[in-house]
Amino acid sequence: MRASLEALGYEVDETEIAIMKVADGVYGPQLRALVDADLTAAWPEPDLDPSRAPSARFPAGLE
Amino acid sequence: MSHPQDLSLSEQAAAVASGELDAAELLDATFARIEERDAALNSVVVRFPDEARRMLSDAPQGPLHGVPVVVKDMFRLPWYAPTDGAPGEAAPAGESAVYRRLRDAGAVIVGIGQCHFWGAGSTGHVSAWGPCGNPWDPAHCAGGSSGGSAAAVGARLVAAAVGTDGGGSVRLPAAYCGVTGMKVTFGAIDTEGYTHGYADMGAIGPICRDAADARLFCGVLTGHALNRGDGGPLRVGVVRDPWWTNVDPEIERACDAAIDAAGWERVEVSLAGAEHQQAAALVCLTIQSLPMVRPEDLAEADAVLRALTKFELTMTPVIVYQAARVRSLLRRSVADAFTRCDMLAWPTVPAPAPPIENPTVELPSGRAPADPGNLRQTGIGNLTGMPGISVPVGLHSSGLPMALQLQGPWGEEARLFDAAEHLEEATGRKFVDADPFTAPARSST
Repeated sequence: MRASLEALGYEVDETEIAIMKVADGVYGPQLRALVDADLTAAWPEPDLDPSRAPSARFPAGLE
Repeated sequence: MSHPQDLSLSEQAAAVASGELDAAELLDATFARIEERDAALNSVVVRFPDEARRMLSDAPQGPLHGVPVVVKDMFRLPWYAPTDGAPGEAAPAGESAVYRRLRDAGAVIVGIGQCHFWGAGSTGHVSAWGPCGNPWDPAHCAGGSSGGSAAAVGARLVAAAVGTDGGGSVRLPAAYCGVTGMKVTFGAIDTEGYTHGYADMGAIGPICRDAADARLFCGVLTGHALNRGDGGPLRVGVVRDPWWTNVDPEIERACDAAIDAAGWERVEVSLAGAEHQQAAALVCLTIQSLPMVRPEDLAEADAVLRALTKFELTMTPVIVYQAARVRSLLRRSVADAFTRCDMLAWPTVPAPAPPIENPTVELPSGRAPADPGNLRQTGIGNLTGMPGISVPVGLHSSGLPMALQLQGPWGEEARLFDAAEHLEEATGRKFVDADPFTAPARSST
């Protein structure tokens, strides 16, 4: 985590690392589960507009 | 007449319109009440005595002629640059669409509602303005990020306030403070001049004491009337997992009892993608806001928020695409659910407002920070764009409010107001009419 942040140009101190570890304990399992989830059949909407219901424009067979 | 701020929004507007209440006296009484009650809360963090009098003198004969309101610290006003609860300006002074709607309705903006730092939290205990206290117990959080707006309405400083909701920030503080808050369908209220108007998760919303006032205020903010219908014969979709799990048992019972009291037909519903909705909401919120965070802003941030922001910076592109897939999956699942029910219902918050000094909550799974559980209850509304309303349904044994959230199809705000009004009537209005300054629970604290 420290290495990736430093590669982005952000310094990080020990206090921040400690807080990030707590955050990882809270959110990490769900975030990793999201990364690992098989969502190949759940195509993102090509025209996502949160002001209305989703359109039916999904690839055939994936509705 | 009692104190004019004990009147509802519609009563204030009617009294001013009829001449029964002088608008200048109402304004003076409002500032006096803010002075009297807000020292313990810190909800109205900037006050506009001069600008408010100027707005009043220029106010047209609109539906809120001469009625005082508060706006969250996320809207440009001609005389005020919003801060997002952080040091410095988040946007320059100017006219936001919300300002124009309020001005054209004849409303008078009396001040700015406290806001969680960057709007990035559900507790309101971190802000450049300082923490905001809960009207039911000032040692507890008002919520966030629209905590000042909700606390100001709950403490009867004003009858209406504007909030914004990118991950629950209208509904969550409304629930904590025992008031009614509506997140409208994405885009239903113009976001011009709203500091987070760049994001497709955020919507604006009215915060009032009850649903009738929120309907009136929402009509002003959207620019069209939301006509009243019958909220009785509705089918409510109950999604047990995850939204009724790991919830304080008293809150679960109160929300169940409220649905029973309303007499709505229950439909058991499950939503594909629900297991990933909390993570997807976190990712979408994060990815949209991170480009707005400048390094100099990060240096000024609260230490915890700074570390959390850096934690979020480590997210990978893969998770962004996964979150986008979950978002679409949820939108389709919700749209399908609304073919079988008229609205979805679950507790707005899993636990009552936590203490400011230690913003953690006690859940069946153990003690935990308040934010994750709160985002779990409300994030799907922002991912999908559907409207949602938080309605008070009782007082917890701690003396703090409990609330039920109702969510409906896109564009169906009126249906949710109908349902909320029906629920209020079915419960004898005892929860929306409760006054924290006279209620036994607070008097004993």
